[in-house]
Amino acid sequence: MDGTAYRNSFRDLVDDRVDEGVFRVDRSIYTDEAVFEAEIERIFEGGWVFLCHEGQVENPGDYFATEIGRQPVFVIRQKDGSLGCFINACSHRGALLTPFRQGSARALTCRFHGWAYDLGGRCIRIKNEEGGFSEPGFSRERFNLRRIGALESYRGFVFGSLTADVPPLEDHLGAAARWIDLLAGQARNGLEVVPGSSTYMIRGNWKLQAENSVDGYHVTTVHRVFASTISNRETRDATTGMRQTESGRIKGNVPTGAYDLGNGHMSIWALHTTPHVRPIYESKDWLEENLDPVEADWILNRGRNLYLFPNVMLMDNPSTQIRLMKPISPDLAEVTVYCIAPKGESAAARAARLRKFEDFYLTAGMATSDDVAALEAVQDGSSGRLSRWNDMTRGLSDLVTGPDEDARRLGFEPAGCCPDWDHEGLFHGFYRAWLDRMENGAR
Amino acid sequence: MNAGRIDDGLEREVAALIAREAMLLDRRRWDEWIDLYTEDAVYWVPAWANEEETTTDPETQLNLIYLRNRGGLEDRVFRIESRDSYASVPLDRTVHLIGNVLVESANGDSVEASANCLVHVYGKKGAATRGSLYDFRFRRVDGALKIARKKIVFIDDRLEGPIDIYHL
Ligand code: FES
Ligand SMILES: [Fe+2]
Repeated sequence: MDGTAYRNSFRDLVDDRVDEGVFRVDRSIYTDEAVFEAEIERIFEGGWVFLCHEGQVENPGDYFATEIGRQPVFVIRQKDGSLGCFINACSHRGALLTPFRQGSARALTCRFHGWAYDLGGRCIRIKNEEGGFSEPGFSRERFNLRRIGALESYRGFVFGSLTADVPPLEDHLGAAARWIDLLAGQARNGLEVVPGSSTYMIRGNWKLQAENSVDGYHVTTVHRVFASTISNRETRDATTGMRQTESGRIKGNVPTGAYDLGNGHMSIWALHTTPHVRPIYESKDWLEENLDPVEADWILNRGRNLYLFPNVMLMDNPSTQIRLMKPISPDLAEVTVYCIAPKGESAAARAARLRKFEDFYLTAGMATSDDVAALEAVQDGSSGRLSRWNDMTRGLSDLVTGPDEDARRLGFEPAGCCPDWDHEGLFHGFYRAWLDRMENGAR
Repeated sequence: MNAGRIDDGLEREVAALIAREAMLLDRRRWDEWIDLYTEDAVYWVPAWANEEETTTDPETQLNLIYLRNRGGLEDRVFRIESRDSYASVPLDRTVHLIGNVLVESANGDSVEASANCLVHVYGKKGAATRGSLYDFRFRRVDGALKIARKKIVFIDDRLEGPIDIYHL
């Protein structure tokens, strides 16, 4: 911290008086330097964050470079097949060790002075060691790479924490684990990350991207033009089959719901009006034979967005994706999107999945670009401090504490349920978790 | 014009067509822009697979944009003209500058060419300049060259702001 910005209590930034019909957040949470510094320290560098998918580090030596908060790390498949994650800085004088964001190496050789590390982070070579470290008892061990505090996978999704003082990953995921099951469980041969990705910058706070990813309320305004563009196209081209886009949810008037999953995780769902055009539909028989019927039904018939606190979105809508978010400053975040898909799906399903992805989920596409513009408008509006609060009370009278019927049947324990994705009760859980971490530090 | 020969006339015709496309985009003459393309035109902007290579198979890998007929361009124009796209109101201003036009081959009615393009964009977030490599395939239809395929390698990899057809 550079000393320019520091504050100790953040309690006054979340006005949580649901009993009195009030839930609102101070707009400075999107703009304030001191808030941001504390978020990096207490949230991103102080607990579990998503790192990558195991498919991105499949074989020994495969690495994936990313950041936890502001700290560069890399995940690597070690010799014995397990995963390791290390601070991505040479033990000598700190150069990054990975030449690429993702790659494969037999050993990590620093390109500065040539020190080398094995796949388990052990320092195995120091250039001209005899000429520089000739003292008796010298051991390269003291230059082994620094492992992060905790590293665990859940169904192929890899999470890490700089600090070791965290609960087991499954406790952190809690009710959200069941939602990961819906994504992972639909792929009988596992999921893979499709080649190619896109990274974009949003001139907006990371929490706006988090909110947006599970904000059903904006869909019928911000994506109205997407729906009309697509229906125009499908009439013009007489599109049939899997190439059709499932735009019923965007037009509205379908059953929907939203969940506060606890620990800051959130999710929304909407019923597909045309589930048969979804790429996963070719696996319908297998899903119905091999999965719990409620689970199969959710996979086939409900589009779902899952936000995992604090830095990843897993979406299963017209297409399937990982959306990884990195906070850069209060008003800047970097987002990378990957298409994730069942291994071994048909060529037609894969092509349809990718085309739907490109239509919607990229800033070069016809919907995410509009999302980004919308949340950047919130960022800009947030400087209007004389008007202090963002309101999140929509649907308060219908908010259910604990599980609803759907949650009970699928088998997860949300903290709160909204019977409509237009409602905002899920954000209460997000901001309660946020405030708890900001007040009580690392978790 | 003789099939297979690249003469000055063909080079001038190709350069003029590429410049014309840029002009129509910058001046937002969308319908005339679409008319430069054949009905079955492919418009392809691959994604980056890693720091050094783009994706190479548009069917099985991720692209930034992959439109498989002229209707895909019409979709983009429909969205822009609807005035209902958050990212497209107000519309960014652009200036395309085309250079290095090279006719690579000519075979019957089919001509291939490459070019470079710098686009200076000015919008809500200020100004940016972005570079692209163009690969064209043209087809002669009723005497006039039309764009049958355009591949754009957009060299930026950390995208700032929306990337629509007029930014490329
Ligand atoms: S910084 Fe890596 S060897 Fe010197
Ligand atoms: Fe959206």
